Order: sequence, then structure tokens, then C-alpha cells
Amino acid sequence: MMKTLLRAALCSLTFLAATAEAGDKYAVKAGTIVTMNGESIENGVIVMEGGRITAVGSEADVKIPWDAEVLDVPDLVAMPGFVQAHATGGMDRSNETIDVAPFLQISDSIDPVAFFFEECIRWGVTTINVQHSTNCVIGAVGMVVKPHGMTVDAMLVKPRSGVKVCVSPKSGKSRATQMQILRKTFGDLKRYLDGVIQQKKDGDDTARREALYQGRELDGEKAKGRAMKGEGWKVDGLELVPRGEIDEKQEPLLAMVEGELAVYINCSVPMDVPHAIELARDNGFLSSTVLVLGSSCWKAADAIKAAGVSVVLNSTLVHIERDPVSGEEKETFVPGVFEEKGIPFALSPVDNTTRGLWYQAAVCVGHGMTRAEALAAVTTTPAEILGLTGRVGQLAKGADANVVLFSGDPLSVTSFVEYVLIDGKLAYDRSKDVRTKYLLEGITPENTASAAELDEAPTDHNGSSGEDDDENKDDENKDDDSKEGGR
Amino acid sequence: MHLRKTRHGSRLALGAALLSVAAVGPVVATAAAEPTRFGTVDHETILIKAEKVIVRPGKVLENAQVLVEDGRIVAVGAALEAPADAQVIEGAVVCAGFIDPWSGLGLSSSAITDRNTSPATRSVDAFDRYQSAHALGECLRTGVTSVRVQAGMSSPIGGVGAVVRTDPEAGSATAVVLADSNAAAAIGVTSRGRATDVFDRISQVDKLRDTLEAARKYREDEVEYRHELTAWQEEIAKEEEKLEKGFKKAKKARDKKVKDAEEDGKEFKEKKYKEDKKPRLPKYDADKSMFARVVEGELPLVVTAHRVAELRELLQVTEPFGRLRLVVAGGTESLTVADELAERRIPVLVWPAPLGTSVSDELDGHDLSLAGQLRAKGVKVLLGSGGSANSRDLPLFAQLAVGHGLDAEAAFAAITYDAARALDVADRIGSVQRGRDADLLVLSGDPLRSSTQVRYVLSAGRVVVSPNE
Repeated sequence: MMKTLLRAALCSLTFLAATAEAGDKYAVKAGTIVTMNGESIENGVIVMEGGRITAVGSEADVKIPWDAEVLDVPDLVAMPGFVQAHATGGMDRSNETIDVAPFLQISDSIDPVAFFFEECIRWGVTTINVQHSTNCVIGAVGMVVKPHGMTVDAMLVKPRSGVKVCVSPKSGKSRATQMQILRKTFGDLKRYLDGVIQQKKDGDDTARREALYQGRELDGEKAKGRAMKGEGWKVDGLELVPRGEIDEKQEPLLAMVEGELAVYINCSVPMDVPHAIELARDNGFLSSTVLVLGSSCWKAADAIKAAGVSVVLNSTLVHIERDPVSGEEKETFVPGVFEEKGIPFALSPVDNTTRGLWYQAAVCVGHGMTRAEALAAVTTTPAEILGLTGRVGQLAKGADANVVLFSGDPLSVTSFVEYVLIDGKLAYDRSKDVRTKYLLEGITPENTASAAELDEAPTDHNGSSGEDDDENKDDENKDDDSKEGGR
Repeated sequence: MHLRKTRHGSRLALGAALLSVAAVGPVVATAAAEPTRFGTVDHETILIKAEKVIVRPGKVLENAQVLVEDGRIVAVGAALEAPADAQVIEGAVVCAGFIDPWSGLGLSSSAITDRNTSPATRSVDAFDRYQSAHALGECLRTGVTSVRVQAGMSSPIGGVGAVVRTDPEAGSATAVVLADSNAAAAIGVTSRGRATDVFDRISQVDKLRDTLEAARKYREDEVEYRHELTAWQEEIAKEEEKLEKGFKKAKKARDKKVKDAEEDGKEFKEKKYKEDKKPRLPKYDADKSMFARVVEGELPLVVTAHRVAELRELLQVTEPFGRLRLVVAGGTESLTVADELAERRIPVLVWPAPLGTSVSDELDGHDLSLAGQLRAKGVKVLLGSGGSANSRDLPLFAQLAVGHGLDAEAAFAAITYDAARALDVADRIGSVQRGRDADLLVLSGDPLRSSTQVRYVLSAGRVVVSPNE
């Protein structure tokens, strides 16, 4: 019975997606607009067209086009959708068994109807960088998505957003053997490239001698590839090899070394940090590296600062440890350490529901961080980490039209996400969110089981499989009806 | 850094934060941050004046001074003036910091017991300076300034050992003295520190022999490849010269043939060109490459072995490798083979463990007189803490060995100069000489006397222990 409910929820989202079309004009009139791009605006207007924001300003300054659909919500607070710089959800499997797998694509593993994405949108997260989890040596190539759309293509924000590298060991390995594989991987890449180039050179030499022997003029062939870039090591003569001839298992590694593919290095304890930095520096990807840190890694903050890299903190904001001698507990407010050192940091959610990114930002404020700094850690800073500054994480002209409307202060526990717009289209409306309605108010959609009946049934929040198309259609109709009664 | 002592605070604080935001929130105590030096290193100029400077075992200067600048010893002498900005330290005895050549300090247990290590696994990757800060600090206070750490200690072929500093706040430039100090192997020891059965032992010996032989072959192949390549290149260069000279003639002949073929209405075929194949580079193998250095004597090989059968086999297996620099670790029954050890100048790394210490062999007890007896037979002795985290007690172990017959100077050498030489770090640490790193102890009396206090400790020129601590 819960399944029916779920299906209904799913379809309501689908339905909304279908109502809007590309090129639609949309305007939001909100009581407050937190732009994350300068001052907040009271009684402001956001105008969107073609998926982008075309104007943001006060009601007096911004004219709403006559043909725009208007959402007039003077009681609500508008925020840019939250940005999660590193997430390991929404995939069919969060890790592969092979150690080094950057020739695989996360996009092949992303499940658009995963509950994860539904929760993201419900709690205001509109940009998510999906990466492999921590049980790997080098993971697949990740991608940035929005939690909306029925296919992976429709969800795409940025392809090839980066690769996960783990310095902390995969299960069955120790730190020493983990690092050994990492070193070997890049050592093998260099030897491979040297080999390919040498082979090319040798082939050219033999061809030249053959032509001489045969009395044939040989047209000088021009190099077909491009020379190697990168801040670490380089091999000479890579321009001789067309890039298409590079082995597909080596190509993503080469892209990392050339700084073209961002690298997210997982460090679970502080000792991992110097290794991560050394690996990145030796192989030339330090400037495209982001460290994904465990809670005790604040101890290595000086080394991180010196390396000049950005970090994604894990969900534990207060690190507690016991003094080995006195037994006294010591608490460290982790984001505070990074704020003080001036290291750009993005926050991670505890879960993707009530303790999501806004909750984390609120906890930071509770520990004395300024609102601006705390909100930046869930909007502009992660956007910068993802190389999407100006596109996501702020409400400004030209940015993707991802707007979250809160019932009140975005950092208050009593506030709810009322609406979410993604690419200028209404993607979430709480008044039609049957799941929240059921969980909070005990209201079930029409023609489904009552709340009391559902309580008796075994609850299965995750089961979303086994639906069949015909049934879906039925549900869609029902949902259609119920929509009339909505807001 | 925001440090907060635990009280009831945190939950309440959170609630408050969520309910009213802009809000007041709890007051955050911004306690003064303890300075950490990860990533940076402080260097100072320090002049140490002492009644006695032990330059190295057997060489002592009376009423001398040691000048330290930028982490190094820049002068040792009798009438050194302190530069204007120098910190002056006075003490009775100055000597080199102690080195534990057999430690497991700071390694995660998974790295120590990892059975999947191969010769190229690097122990330094498993060394955790952050989490073991306290234990490392304890070492400094007893004067142990460096340790050799070893991952995969109980796997038949361990990883590459490393000599690291025990200063928990050592910067990246000084933290590691030598990242590849030695290769390692074990015969007759399992991960639980118990002896293996006889068949396992035989296979471990075989594995060591195979590894050494494969490495030698690998090195030979490399050399052979280089010879073949040079010969091939010379040959090809000659060939090419010849071809260049003959090109005009060849072109004429070809043009004629093309023309003839056209006239005859036949298809023109190019002459087949043949040349000697270029020799192929042998496939790179990190493990073999590593052990090739061992075979060449570039790195010492530390083999843990205790029983006489194992030691005999070890000596036999390594005999054909003339350049190999073997170090025996453990060596509980090594007295039986002491003559051969002395003759082949193989040092024995002994752990004079007090009763009750869990030991790494089935004999369950180290004869404290072993070090002294080996020494008496002319075997070079090193002293270590058995690959445990007990490096702090190294001076105590040395004292026990002295109390049971090892002469004091040999014991001191065993944990300073000789240890440094055995691990190829004598150019950096282990003696008080100009140009060496300033890893120094300022003591209240002679080293290895239980009444002697460690007053100051310098690690890479930084004062890490001082009396007012």
C-alpha cells in the first residue's frame, strides 16, 4: 500500500515536469530574496526565461513580462537551490569491485528515479555532484546533475565533473598498499605514454629507412596529436600520437594529469592529507584537486592551506576526541578551523532529508559562524568547487533558474521548502507532495489507503521497483484529479 | 580554531540555532589555538655548551660546543662563539638522538599485519604522525628521535622500511629521514607473532630465494637490453648511412621499374625491406626493480628469523649474493651461527625485552645476555624494540643489554651511529658532526645510565623537549 503512495508521489513529480516547456517565461514574487550575490532583496522579483534567470531585483525595478506565469508568494523567502559538491547517492552501486575504474562513467550508474533525488529536491538541493563512494582506489568519472528529469541526460548539469581518488584504503587494503596502487597507476601511465610515443617514433624511423631502401620519396607527416599539458610530469613527443589512439583505460588518467579532469581525493584521517597532496602535486593535478575530508582532518589544516586546495567537509561538524592521558573530551568545531585558516569549504548533509545542507548551515551559525559564511558553504563555495560559479548557487542574471522558496527563514527548523524551480520550471510543490502530507499530516491521496490502514501495513520506504506501466497510468489520472484541489 | 569543552552545550546550541537563526547562538569559546607546524618548519640558531660532546662512539670532546643553524649542525668545537640571535643551551653531555632500527610505532595495525605487501610497498605511506602524536612525544622525552618503521612485518616479503622522525610536529621537509632505508623479509614468523610450521618455513625460504633470483635476473635483463640496444643502434646508424648514400641509385632503379611495369601493364611491387628488430625493453616490475637494488647492495635487507634452522637456511640462501647487505632481526638462537655472522659481517638486531613483553617468536623470552654474547664473538649488534610501539623504552632495552654484558659504548653505538650506518642514514643522523641534521640530546649525565635525565631534545634543529615542559 505504501507502494501506491510512492507511485503517486513519483507521478506528481513527473506530471509537473510535463507541464512546463522550454522557453517558458516564469516570474516569482517573493517577500525576501536571498541572492547570495550581494544584498538580499525585500519584496523582490525573479524573472526566468529559457531556463535562465533574466532579472532579479525589487518589485519597483524589475518588470515582469506580460506573458510570464507568475508565482506570487509574498510570505516566502527565495534562495538559490543548494549545491552539494560531493554526493555518493543516487547510483545503482556506489562502488565497483575493480580498484582503478576511471574508464567507467557514473552516468551509467545513476538512477533518475532513485529516492535520493526525490529527497534532494524536497529539501532544496538542486545541484549535486555525484561521485563514487570511498571503497575504491580510483572511481568512475562523476557528473553534476539536477535532481529532476526522467533520464540521466535530462538531469545533466556538467559531464565529467571529476574523478574520485581514495588515499584512505579500500576494504582489504592497508594505507601502504593503497598508496602503492596509486603510485603504480600513474607510474604505469607514464611508462605507457613513453611506450606509445617510442613505438610511433620507431615506426616512423623504420618507414623512413624503408623508403630510402625502396628509392621512394616520403612525404613528411605532420604530428596529429597535441603536446602534453600539465603541471607535474610530462612526456615529450605526445603530439606524435593522435589522442584517439590513447588506450581508453589510460585516457582519463591522462586527463587528470593534464588538469582537465577534476580530482576529488578522499582523506578519512589527517595522515591521508599529506599523501593526497603529494600524489596531486607529483602528478600535476593539485590545482584541480578538492579534498573530501573526514572529521579529524582539521588537524591537517595547515598542510591544506599551504597546498591551496578547497575541501568538502563530511557531515560531522563537531569532532570529539579523548585526550590519551587525561581522558578529557575535546570538541572541535570543524568548519570553524577551515574558516579561520581561510580555506574554502563546502558542507555535506548528514542525510538527505531533515538534516540536509540547510540544517548543516544552521548548525554552523549556532557555533558562531556568520549567516553569510554558513550559507556560502552550501551555495557559492560548492559552486566554485564545481567550476559552476555564476551558474548555480546564486540568484543572479544569467544563472540557471534554480530557485527554492521557503516558508520562512531558510535556516530555521520551522521552515519548509514550499516550491522548487529547476531551470525555470516548477519542479516541486509541497502542497502536492503526497509523501510529506502523509508523514506530517496523515493525509493520504484520494483513492488510496487511509493513514490508519497504512500504519498497520509493513513500511517499506525504499521499495520503488516492480511497478508496471498500466498501473502507472491509472495513478497518473488520479493524481490529475487531486491536483485540482491543490493550491 | 574553535575549541569547546564538552558540557551540555552542543545539543541545546543546535536547537537554538535552528529556531532563531540570526540569532544569538551559544557563545563560542575561541580558546587560543595550539600552534601546529604541519606544512611549515621553524628553524633557529642554537648554541649548545656541554662538558662533554660525544661526537660518535669512541670520540668525545671535553668542554665543547655545538652550533645549530637551519636544522643542521654547522660547527662542533671548543671555542665557538654564540651568534647574536642564538639561543644558548647548557648541559653536561651532548650526544646524537637515539635511533630505533626496529619499530612499529605510528603504523596502523593493518599495515603491520598486512600480508599483501610486496617489495615495493612503502612503509612511510602507513605512518600516522597525527593519530600517534602522543606516543611519538613520549619517544622524544626519552631521547628517541628517529625510528625505522616497517609495514608488512610478518609477511614473507615485507615492504620498504623507512626512517622517520618522532617529532609529531615535524614539517614535510624533515618528517622523513629516508623513505627507503631497507627491504624486509621474515622466515618463521606469522602475523600473530608465532612460529610457522616447518612447511611454511620452507616455503618462506623458497620465496626469499626466488625473489632474490628473480631480481638478479631482472637486473641482468636490463643490462643486457641496454647492451643490445646500443649494438642495434650502431648497426642501424650504419645501415641508414648506407641507405642515404644509395638513395639516388635506388630511386633511379625504382623509377625505371615503375615505368617498365606501366609499359608491360603489370602491377608495380615495392621491394621488401627488412631490418633487425629493435630489442624490446623488459617489462617494468616495481617489485623486482626494488629487490634488484637489494641484490646490488644498494639497500640492506632486514630478515626476521629466530631459530637456528631458519638462520642456517637464511645464511645459505643469501650466500651466493655477494653484494647483499643482510641484517638479521631477532636472532634468538643466533649464537650458534655467530662465527659465520661475524665473518660475513652480518649485524644482528636484538630486542632485549623485559619479562612479560609479548615477543615475536615462540621461544617466549629473550635472553638479555644475547647482545653481549654476540658482541663477544665479534658480531655487530644493533638494538631495537622488536617492531612494537615500544620505541619509547629503547634506552631501557639498551640498559638491560649493558646490565647483561654488552659494553656500554657498543650499546650506545647500537642505537646511534651503528644503527644509522646499517640503514644508510649516517650522513644525516647518528653522530654529532658538522653537516649532520641536528637531532641532538642534552643530557644530565652519561647516556644509558638510568639516573641520567634527558634535558633537551632537538629534532632537525628544533627544540622539541626542554626541562620546563
